[in-house]
Amino acid sequence: MKQQNVLEISGLDVSLPTGDRILSGVDLAIGGGRILGVIGESGAGKSMIGACIADTLPDALAVSAGSIEFDGLPLGSMTRATRRDLLGRDIGFIPQEPMTALNPALTIGQQFGSHLARIGFRWPKERKERTIQLLEDVHLPRSRELLSHYPHQLSGGMLQRVLIAMAFASNPKLVVADEPTTALDVTIQARVAELIARMVETHGASVLFITHDLCLAADLCDEVAVLYAGRIVESGAAETIIGSPAHPYSRCLSLATPTLSGPPRPLLTLPGTMPSALERSVMAGCELAPRCPVAEMRCHTDKPLLASTTTGHRSACHFPERVSAIQAPAEEPQAAAREPGPDVVLRAEGLAKTYIARDWIGRMRRVEALRGLDFEVREGEFVGVVGESGSGKSTLTKLILGLEDVTTGRLDAAGFAGSDRSAATLRALRAQVQLVFQDPQSALNPRRSIGSLVTQSLEVRAERPSRAARSAIARDLLAKVLLPPDVIDRFPDQLSGGQKQRVNIARALCSNPRLLVADEIVSGLDVSVQAQILELLKALREEAAISLLLISHDLAVVRHICDRTVVMFRGEIVEQGPVEEVFGNPRHDYTRALVAAAQGGTSLRKTMSQSQ
Amino acid sequence: MPVFAVVSMLVFLALRVLPVDPAQMSLPPSATIEQVEAKRIEMGLTKPVWEQYAVWLGSAVRGDFGESAQYRMPTSTLVLQRLPATIELATCALAFAIVFGVAMGLLIFAARGTVLASAGMVVTSVIMALPDFLLALLFILLLGVLMPLFPVNGRLAPGLSVPDLTGFLLVDTLAAGEPRLFLNALSHMALPVLALGLAFSPAIIRVLHSSLVATYQQSYIRQARLRGLSDRSILFGQALKNAILPVVVLVGTQFGGLFGGTLLVELIFSYPGLGNLMLRAMQTVDLNVIMAVALIYCATTLIFNSLADAGVYLLNPRLRS
Repeated sequence: MKQQNVLEISGLDVSLPTGDRILSGVDLAIGGGRILGVIGESGAGKSMIGACIADTLPDALAVSAGSIEFDGLPLGSMTRATRRDLLGRDIGFIPQEPMTALNPALTIGQQFGSHLARIGFRWPKERKERTIQLLEDVHLPRSRELLSHYPHQLSGGMLQRVLIAMAFASNPKLVVADEPTTALDVTIQARVAELIARMVETHGASVLFITHDLCLAADLCDEVAVLYAGRIVESGAAETIIGSPAHPYSRCLSLATPTLSGPPRPLLTLPGTMPSALERSVMAGCELAPRCPVAEMRCHTDKPLLASTTTGHRSACHFPERVSAIQAPAEEPQAAAREPGPDVVLRAEGLAKTYIARDWIGRMRRVEALRGLDFEVREGEFVGVVGESGSGKSTLTKLILGLEDVTTGRLDAAGFAGSDRSAATLRALRAQVQLVFQDPQSALNPRRSIGSLVTQSLEVRAERPSRAARSAIARDLLAKVLLPPDVIDRFPDQLSGGQKQRVNIARALCSNPRLLVADEIVSGLDVSVQAQILELLKALREEAAISLLLISHDLAVVRHICDRTVVMFRGEIVEQGPVEEVFGNPRHDYTRALVAAAQGGTSLRKTMSQSQ
Repeated sequence: MPVFAVVSMLVFLALRVLPVDPAQMSLPPSATIEQVEAKRIEMGLTKPVWEQYAVWLGSAVRGDFGESAQYRMPTSTLVLQRLPATIELATCALAFAIVFGVAMGLLIFAARGTVLASAGMVVTSVIMALPDFLLALLFILLLGVLMPLFPVNGRLAPGLSVPDLTGFLLVDTLAAGEPRLFLNALSHMALPVLALGLAFSPAIIRVLHSSLVATYQQSYIRQARLRGLSDRSILFGQALKNAILPVVVLVGTQFGGLFGGTLLVELIFSYPGLGNLMLRAMQTVDLNVIMAVALIYCATTLIFNSLADAGVYLLNPRLRS
């Protein structure tokens, strides 16, 4: 007898009041105890699926067709109250950002207690014992003490464990996990994913695992569905979806993802962006067609439907057999042989930074943020600084940019000593050393046009160029970062995240700096956009002889574009050297842990690199 | 403390530049110029202003604010007689404002999106536009004259009296075991409390409402909903403790306004408190009394500011660690 699916979504449409569809014809099914991964980039509509299940769609959106059956019962025919009653009891949710998902004014014990009270634990003593036990189940140390702690006293990883324990507390049939590891440090990510897998085993729950991370999905899930522009373009067993994808989009995504193993190769960049709900409404053919490397006439006029392929997947493509022909561009020969120049752009010798912190009664405490750093960045060299939160990466950035003074040691940035913090020196330093921020959105003043943002630094110069000259410079800079010339008069809100980050890079290039400091500049971006930015940075190196200090938590990204890497742990450099050497043969325990975490410890990632 | 020193200095200087002569004021109009001069020397008015201030401050910290020129008795005794009445009035008004304001804020928020909520908001705006003394006059007209439900004069009906224990009538009447007197005192307080409290409540309603709206956009509220908590337990168990913080700050920083409002409201209701004392003192240029009462207003504001800081500190665990 065929076992009943815990969740069965068929033909689900979610629409705006205008009729434009955010999700169209989504079919998903999860069997008992299985993990289904839904992979998609931002804007694909993947979070909407969870919102449909929870009945928490934003006001403007509504389910316009299709059905969701939970445990054999159609959710659409239930009253709001009944549906709400399912939440937390039969359906658990693990959020994306554990740091904000717990109430800051209540203790862990209070919040866990109110959840247990709701699911039927009547006595406070019973609730307390059960909470402690559940917290122990997710490997939280000293769980009894945690009860009286407030969320801000716990790390992100610990909070996510608390939330996972809460989600599984009622032995739910289904758990919806929306990007549960994205906001966590690399080494924590793997452990949290592992924990979810183990909880599924012990509690027998089914999981809808929403993620943008192909490799993570491949590691953790039984089945996978790839979502593009509100439509499922491919679904099938997780093991083969990366090894032998049957849809061009899946293939392109995996070719756009930098890897830690296998030979280094350039990333495939998909042109353009995902069409919005409004744009999709007027597309007659496949939504991917304008960006697809193997599309032809028929793809633009005729929408492909999900159909079984020879690889055992279901793929919405007219030409699934062409997918394997999609290849990443070949490496340009001179790029591989490139040597850094003789000049040293950035040098740190015994660099240390100590902060004096004061607590509320004024007691002083010394915090050693950086200790004895020795490293250098040569002309035209790309160096990646990796490390987790608290490793001192941000402090290093502040010192390099002269935002704070050096406690001991030497720091030479573009020929300026870090100890000289006079206004004139700092001004000269900042023409030579530029920073690009992590969040492309908040770094741009929304009231300035792109053209004026890009050349803003020229406005404060003594010999300030004329308006016409500035706009000519802006056009040059925008061309350098491959943005179309017509963005010059637009405003930041009219650009996508990737385009905004290009504007930020163009802006940093305005003063012809020798060193670019890039703080996690691709971590907020989707895989395909990340590939575009990384390839852009590589191209800039060929052209402008610029040096880059890339601060990142993503080892694969660092491996992809950097020559050397510096691994930081608790304010110290634990290892440094050429990327292939450090990541291929890590010596320090911490580097090993980082590499292991990034590889996910499974064979699937190897399959991925072999297939390419 | 430094704030206190600066304020007292400012008030002292302001009163010394007034074109009145305290010496002359403290003598009968028939006094000769020689007598006034002698009095000036006796009162230390011929010394430099800063020295006068030092002398005044010296006795003030010992609780001696000099003699009231009008009442011919120590200012401190006078002030202490009147203080309880005003404290009683302001406390009751504040309690009413908080209870009414928080309840209305919650109601309007819970009814969000409905006609009821918009109506509540309109009413709130109307009350906000009416100052406390205007509300006082309106209530006298409506509930004192047209529909005489409450007395509009003094603290007790004429002829009644209570043994003076604490000066707080509500306390004294209960201590004397006189529930009838207690109710009489209460009904005398009803209208002034209503006027002062109602005038203060729109700010609370507004701040609590917008703070709740902001709190509901936080992801922990969304997560609480995904755990299936009911609307009621999300509002009271999760949101309120966070959303109330701006209200605590508001009450602490704006209480001075309510306390100052007693000045006119006491006048309107012939309520024998500090406000009436202050107004009399101003009319008769009773400098020592004006100084003392001004300092009490200042101290009250400062005390409530610190109380609000302490409240926020207690309610917000992030500040504690």
